[in-house]
Amino acid sequence: MVFLSLSCWIRNRGPDRYWKVQEVLKHARHFRGRKNRCYSLAVRAVRRAFVYATKARKVKKRNIRTLWITRISAGSREHGMKYPALMNHLTKSSVQLNRRVLSDLAITEPRSFLSLAKLARARQQEGFRAALGDGKEPAGVLSRVMLQ
Amino acid sequence: MTSRGTPSRFLKSVLQNGVGRYVCQLKRVSIIFSKNAQSSLGIRDFIEEGVVDYAKKNPGTVVYVSPQPRRIPKIVAEYLNGNVREEIVTNKTSAQISELLTKLSNQSGLDIIRIRKPQHTDSPSIQGQWHPFVNRPPSIGLIRPLKD
Amino acid sequence: MSSFSRSAQQWATFARSWFLIDARMQPPGKIASVCSVRLQGKHKPIYHALSECGDHVVVINSRHIAFSGNKWEQKVYSSHTGYPGGFKQVTAAQLHHKDPKAIVKLAVYGMLPKNLQRRSMMQRLHIFPEDELPDDIRANLTEELPQPREIPRKLSEYTQEEIDAFPRLWTPPTDYKMK
Repeated sequence: MVFLSLSCWIRNRGPDRYWKVQEVLKHARHFRGRKNRCYSLAVRAVRRAFVYATKARKVKKRNIRTLWITRISAGSREHGMKYPALMNHLTKSSVQLNRRVLSDLAITEPRSFLSLAKLARARQQEGFRAALGDGKEPAGVLSRVMLQ
Repeated sequence: MTSRGTPSRFLKSVLQNGVGRYVCQLKRVSIIFSKNAQSSLGIRDFIEEGVVDYAKKNPGTVVYVSPQPRRIPKIVAEYLNGNVREEIVTNKTSAQISELLTKLSNQSGLDIIRIRKPQHTDSPSIQGQWHPFVNRPPSIGLIRPLKD
Repeated sequence: MSSFSRSAQQWATFARSWFLIDARMQPPGKIASVCSVRLQGKHKPIYHALSECGDHVVVINSRHIAFSGNKWEQKVYSSHTGYPGGFKQVTAAQLHHKDPKAIVKLAVYGMLPKNLQRRSMMQRLHIFPEDELPDDIRANLTEELPQPREIPRKLSEYTQEEIDAFPRLWTPPTDYKMK
């Protein structure tokens, strides 16, 4: 056959089925085993992979957030606070850092994180003092404050 | 699209280009068009109006204008790192082509693929990264006198 | 800027510490929860499950652990050898008598995540039945962890004055026999 123009050449590049198979195999080339070259195995694996990828986009956010929380709790326990207390009192001190930034600070800028922990600790003590009042209890209530 | 099946890279620029001095990464542009085809109308307009201005404005870029008997006009851009990009400019107006050329000359020539993180820094830590002895009292010696 | 060069920074960040914990009169579960956090590296802000950033933990006095309640008699450790009739069940007291390290070891092993890193984390756990340590381990120790439970004082450790000062609800008669 002789093709004088490019468009006719492209049109003659092979049967449609070949190109359909290539479209699927394109996504399966890095798979292990015969899945990366046999269409009938690959098509199922590619479909599964796309389903996993779709689900993973949500799961990834969840996993990363738990990792941040693990790191922040590790950092805050070094300074003698628990994670819920730290986050609660940072929010109350209107520190609007999110968990990603806090975990990054705990790793790369430990002194800034220390001062944040100190801030939260101070806010916590302030809250305790406010809750206990001036050491006097309302009438008819017996509590540990009075026993001390 | 799965994330493992698609190529990806981290955010970077070529040799910190733009920090201090900027070197245009686009080195050679070939404008390939037909002298009489209908689809090359816009690019012929561009050659009449804007190509000299473009070449004067970008002294670091070599511009070739090559009329060839073909229906599909294209712009071939060659970058400093050896990458070659072909852009088909069929039925594009002069303004669109000018815009396309500006985009090509502003690009770094790196592959346009998924970028894993939207931010990058060479010095992540100012205060020194966390290590196990940051928040620990600097006491050295035996833990306690264990009886032998 | 940090005071380290980049490679030294990497070594410093991922340096392994050696923790010492004294298990004398401590509940094994509490010892194990302290150990498993340190073994996984979850006490470090650089924690990542795949980066193997766990530390070494040395448990001493594992012979002198304390179970509460009647766990010594009632708690049962089961195992199966794989052969027919190979189902073994021993109480905590029997197991402790056979191997004084086993109870702490099993408690920690159960608290670690069930993945491929579990065996290598267990290799970083060193248990000693008494408080004598080999010199190479003693040289590595960096920090002693506080005991999770306060050890209660025995009656014999109180002085006579403290016993006398203790408030009494009733005065026993002179011929009263203590059980």
